[in-house]
Amino acid sequence: MIASLVALPLTLLSLQQGIAQRLAGRVSPNVAAAVEGTGTAASARGLPVDPLIQKAIEGGAKGIADDRVIAAVNLVVSHLDTAAAALREGGASADTLTIAAGAFAVSAGLSGSDITALARVGATPAALTVGLRVAGTLAALGVPPAENIGLVSVSLRSGKPTADLLLLPASVESEVAKGSTPAAAAAGLSRAAAAQGRHGPPPGHGQPPHPPTPSHP
Amino acid sequence: MSDHDFHPRVKQLLDGDLTLADLPPELRAEGEEALRLLAAVDRRPVAFPTMTERVMLAVNTRPSPAGWRRMLEPREIRLRIRPWVLAPALALAAALIIWIAGPRTAAPAPSLVTVRFVLVAPEAKAVSLAGTFNQWDARATPLVRTGPNGTWTATLTLPAGQHQYAFVVDGVRWVPDPGAPAVDDGFGRRNSVLTL
Amino acid sequence: MRPETQQTDADIVRAVLAGDHERYAVLVERYRDRYARYAARMLGSLDAAEDAVQDAFVRAFDQLAQCKEPDKFVGWFFLILRNRCYAERRRSKAQAPLEAADSLPAVDRTDGGAETAERRRALQHALLELTPDQREVFVLKHVEGLSYGQIAERLNTSVPSLKMRMHRAYDRLREQLREHK
Repeated sequence: MIASLVALPLTLLSLQQGIAQRLAGRVSPNVAAAVEGTGTAASARGLPVDPLIQKAIEGGAKGIADDRVIAAVNLVVSHLDTAAAALREGGASADTLTIAAGAFAVSAGLSGSDITALARVGATPAALTVGLRVAGTLAALGVPPAENIGLVSVSLRSGKPTADLLLLPASVESEVAKGSTPAAAAAGLSRAAAAQGRHGPPPGHGQPPHPPTPSHP
Repeated sequence: MSDHDFHPRVKQLLDGDLTLADLPPELRAEGEEALRLLAAVDRRPVAFPTMTERVMLAVNTRPSPAGWRRMLEPREIRLRIRPWVLAPALALAAALIIWIAGPRTAAPAPSLVTVRFVLVAPEAKAVSLAGTFNQWDARATPLVRTGPNGTWTATLTLPAGQHQYAFVVDGVRWVPDPGAPAVDDGFGRRNSVLTL
Repeated sequence: MRPETQQTDADIVRAVLAGDHERYAVLVERYRDRYARYAARMLGSLDAAEDAVQDAFVRAFDQLAQCKEPDKFVGWFFLILRNRCYAERRRSKAQAPLEAADSLPAVDRTDGGAETAERRRALQHALLELTPDQREVFVLKHVEGLSYGQIAERLNTSVPSLKMRMHRAYDRLREQLREHK
């Protein structure tokens, strides 16, 4: 249909206008123009646009020079791309929330293969999103990737409520406060969780990969 | 039938069941008028790219759609205090976060979490909080000086999820929360991370 | 554009009902633009359309437990939005809908300039003079490009009654456009 052929670039223009609206008065016209372009392209790849806008606004608020703000926004895009590819590789649902959580984990020092490993656990999208955020937070606390992914994977598999996952960083911090290293703290928590899991994992946890989305009306 | 009415054959043309060539010559002019009407149809797309955050802001303040747990039910209060950050060795400040979380049952994490930010900054004249939850606006969320030791506090109710933030001291110095995990901000500084 | 492994609407509806409110953002992102144009043409104003779509999403969230067939979320959402658009027009009938085409994006310099813009404005103006059900069938067929069969299915009505509605709409549009010449 002719209408839909014409539609694509105009939709992108509308998206650009939306980005421009949110950035108006918060960043320079240069930065706004760059983010409109990058954001439109990112959105076409299925990436969330909000993290880019947030980074630009943050740069503006902190009084950072335009070229460095643009560079930081581009770095966010590359983290989002890494996360999206890693999630697909792991067979996980790659909605914008999960991708943003994965990109945070990458920004905190985890790699694409770490993200893929967490995706392969087969947790629900909600649990995976929280798991990625927690893994990023643990990385920020200095937990090395191997212990980090080990701890978060075992916790995801245990089927405990996501609220429990959110307590992991505090548990690591409290072990560190007692003199443990972040790596040893995470390894200890992993062993405890695995032992607990062996004595009775709750049934019915984890789920098979989702079928492809059917077409909508 | 008024003289404004299109001929039934012209209506078929508008419906796409006929083409202009199918019309008898005496209806051609009317057919062309009808097609001009269709040509004026505005099919340009419309998009609302900023809608998601506004909808989520609205739904986050509402009861659960399942109706089995209202957000404002009394909650068990757990405190997480990081006493070690109060060590005097820290040059500028120390912060602690106290949070009020939902009950630890099989129920999912709450959609809103109340967080208390505390910064000990005896020399500061003003402290505020800027982050992803307030568009990094250094003027939006001032902390209040609450004690004689230069303790500044602010209590915020934030949606569950992940937030990055920093304290802004005297309107110019961006300082990460010394008691919270932090990541590079991409500008050569650090942002504190709050995962709720 | 979407990865194949994406969650279905039903997955998301169930997750939200189970307490993962945050996940509702995925549904909003998925459908916020799908009916944006419908709402804009029904209401004749981008601002009113944005309010209506936002409001419909919030209502859909509140009533999500009543969405009996989660895999048909989008059809159910459309009906909520439709009710909202009808209500909005009743409320704002008294206001002059002149902003209609003027409030559309100014990005469109490629397709005919001032004359096209004026014709569009006149037609949008005329559309707002129709009854909501006449306007709706016109918008769904000629703006959204649906067939009578598809519209009948979506609105749970018959093709002949839609045609009758549409043919009245054609006549009234012609009348309006002649008056405004």
